[in-house]
Amino acid sequence: MSRHSVIELNNITVSFEHRVVLDDVTFNLENGDFVYLIGQTGAGKSSFLRLIYRDLLPTTGSVRVADMEVTAMAEKNVPLLRRRLGIVFQDFQLLPDRTIYENVAFAMKVTGEKKGYIKQRVMEVLGMVGLSHRRRNMPEDLSGGEQQRVVIARALANEPRILLADEPTGNLDPEASASVMQLLEKINNRGMSVLMVTHDYDTVRDYPHRTMRLQDGKIIEVNPGELR
Amino acid sequence: MSIEYIVSEGIAGIKRAKLASFTSIFSLFIAVFLLGVLARVSYNAYEVAQALRQSVDVEVFLNDLSEQETDNLENRLEEEELVENVTYISKDSAAAVFKEEFGTEGASLADLEFLPASFRVKMVEGAEIEKVDSLVVQFAEYEGVEEVSFNQKLLEIIETRFRTFSLVGGLIGGLILLASVILVFNTIRLTIYAKRSLIKAMKLVGATNSFIRRPFVMEGVIQGVIAGLLALLVMVISFQYILPEYIPQVGILDWPFGKWYYLSGAMIFLAVLMGFWGSQWAARKFIRKTSISE
Repeated sequence: MSRHSVIELNNITVSFEHRVVLDDVTFNLENGDFVYLIGQTGAGKSSFLRLIYRDLLPTTGSVRVADMEVTAMAEKNVPLLRRRLGIVFQDFQLLPDRTIYENVAFAMKVTGEKKGYIKQRVMEVLGMVGLSHRRRNMPEDLSGGEQQRVVIARALANEPRILLADEPTGNLDPEASASVMQLLEKINNRGMSVLMVTHDYDTVRDYPHRTMRLQDGKIIEVNPGELR
Repeated sequence: MSIEYIVSEGIAGIKRAKLASFTSIFSLFIAVFLLGVLARVSYNAYEVAQALRQSVDVEVFLNDLSEQETDNLENRLEEEELVENVTYISKDSAAAVFKEEFGTEGASLADLEFLPASFRVKMVEGAEIEKVDSLVVQFAEYEGVEEVSFNQKLLEIIETRFRTFSLVGGLIGGLILLASVILVFNTIRLTIYAKRSLIKAMKLVGATNSFIRRPFVMEGVIQGVIAGLLALLVMVISFQYILPEYIPQVGILDWPFGKWYYLSGAMIFLAVLMGFWGSQWAARKFIRKTSISE
């Protein structure tokens, strides 16, 4: 693993029964990089992410994330890996019966942080996503874009090294998508590595970064400007 | 993880999913109440059987024996492990009892001399009929003993009925327990399933499985306490007030061992245990199976 890699997939093959989803895939994400992962539905984008947060083990190959050997990791250490990752999904996965503040704070409670620090950090990340004033609201009071920003705030609460975003703008209108993308850019500019799965080519063109395409189980780099 | 967090999350969990919690509490309540009723009825049946057993004495009728021979025989009878105590009934006492029971007016005690002296032998509590039976055979062979009698038929009926009752009661109890465990465990499983979004979100941010599980287990324990207390309350109301008032022929069914706290403690303990096990099992299983990307 090179000195600056935060994610490294080496010769990964993933097969489900007789179907090969990823075929000898090798990939690196360097510290501070922003990378898009694109591909058609069923191309294996979600499996690719699941390998990183250890929701799936490869058939062959090895995965190393944030200095941890993911494939060889004992089950009890998986939570420690996930604390080094911020994960954002298309469906917001906010707890509907808790306030915005509580939704963010509980991410820190599970890691055993002190009450005083939780309060300070929650206000900080809510401020970063521009939603401090909505902290007492329930998720249902917020728009889709705002909810996704709360999810990003929750993902950032434990100061992860990498942000994984699986179609974060998939359920949003263009305006809300833009606000989420601007936020991801801001987070990346502060030095955090971002790996984003998307099939929204407009977003990839509007916010260009290194782009990888998964196709027929293989991963290839593409030019964002040429995507149609 | 602090106990304060576990308790507050446990209570919050019940408040957040009121219907699911009510279902769990209700199924625990039904299970514990039915088992409590069965235990109370069984205990009272056991008490009746014991009282009947105690009322059956063995009569050892004697030949004409000297005082020394009578004493020797009495000592020999008392030495038996199954014998609680031995009472001597002289010829005169036997005649007096006979006169009182059969009213042979005018007849003098001397006319009733054909009645032999005897020992009334009381057996220890819970003495098995087979052992009493073999003891009777043994007594009959003692020197100076004319005849031994006891109401074997009555004892046999009591024993048989009691065994049948114990078997059926145990079977019903076992079935109630099994059905309750299945019902309670499944209810708790559904309650936890209803909170899968919480489990997913917790796994997503790196909570350990035990961290996720503990509030659920605490919730199960709290539900158990509530269900146990409820079952106890309903038992008190039904056995102390409703049954004596509306079905007096049932009679007073006492608390086991005459004290309210044995059964009450057992009921609450059982409810808590079922709540604890049910939630522990369901949470463990469900948390392990839940994928954060589903």
